[in-house]
Amino acid sequence: MKRLVAILELLWAAVNVVIAYLFVTNAFVAKTAIKEGLPAQAALLLGGALIAVFAATLARQSLQIVRARAPTEG
Amino acid sequence: MGTAARWVLVLAGLAILAAGAYVSFAQSGSGAQPWDPELSDNFVFMRVVPFVLGLGAVIGLYRAGGRKGTVRRGDQIRRFSVGTVIGHWIAAVGFVLALPTGLWQYLGGILDVHLDLPLYLIYRIHYIGAALILFSVANFAAYWWVNGDRSLWPPRGGWRRHLAGFALELPPALGTRLAAWLRLDLDQQPRPERFTFYETAFSFPTWTFALVLITITGLLKAMRYIYPVPGPVLYWASTLHVAAMVLLTLKVLDHLRYTLARWPLMVAMTRGWVSESALRHVLDTASRPGPRQPEPTLPAGAPAGVAGGSER
Repeated sequence: MKRLVAILELLWAAVNVVIAYLFVTNAFVAKTAIKEGLPAQAALLLGGALIAVFAATLARQSLQIVRARAPTEG
Repeated sequence: MGTAARWVLVLAGLAILAAGAYVSFAQSGSGAQPWDPELSDNFVFMRVVPFVLGLGAVIGLYRAGGRKGTVRRGDQIRRFSVGTVIGHWIAAVGFVLALPTGLWQYLGGILDVHLDLPLYLIYRIHYIGAALILFSVANFAAYWWVNGDRSLWPPRGGWRRHLAGFALELPPALGTRLAAWLRLDLDQQPRPERFTFYETAFSFPTWTFALVLITITGLLKAMRYIYPVPGPVLYWASTLHVAAMVLLTLKVLDHLRYTLARWPLMVAMTRGWVSESALRHVLDTASRPGPRQPEPTLPAGAPAGVAGGSER
């Protein structure tokens, strides 16, 4: 069960990495600058970077459990 | 409050919700209104919200007055009541529905990208998720307010102790910096009680902040369909709603990471019951050794309540 949960959380982390990528890349496009302005660009960059860091941390945690040979149940 | 009175309260809440929802859906579905599906959903959502909040509050009141069941069965202790477990997972479903759809609405607007799926369906799913979250907020707020349980919150005058404990639970580089910044005394070696210091000093307060922020801003945004909300208020409500959404995205990621690494916490929030020795291990190993020698956080013969074996 623990491994299954870890796989699901890995998927959730992957989805969040995609979201983080969209946040960060769209912080630098001209359309965002014209439509939303500099504060929104900064917010997208900061939000995207934070989501990427937190998603990577969750992915690392999940991978450790998925790779473990004998998962322990509580 | 007697069991019968509490049931009457819940049934009244359900009946009022059903009546309110019926009136709202009947009006939008009558064909007499010149609304497109999206606007129709906006109206229905805003009109149903008070009833959803009311139902959450009465169920919270019902739970707060409930019978306290067995708290120990051998090595197993009751960490959470059935109502808390169900309430937690209702909120989780709400997040799974509301967060991705909210992020899509935001990003879709920026990217000018549209799915084959009609936009009103994205909004509809978002509103269903939001309604579940609002129900949960009202449910837990009423429950904790009435039963007086504040174990997830540092007590008055206890913030520095909890923050010091939290600093000791962080990786050393981060924890030492936090302690220096807040001038915390790490020599104290505070002992966690029912919850880890990460949960009391950081996780629960930030959950509360993010949920209050997204609830208030979401209600202000939805209110514009029944009341003329001033433009600047609406602008800031929308901006802060997005900020709260990002904060909740981070909170969900962090919560999943923390509980996955401490599996007994996940088990406890699924079954309500957890092995006391496993829970004690989580609490004992939460802190890294401070400047002084670590002391055991729980004596071997500690009663179940110390380790969290009371219903909440």
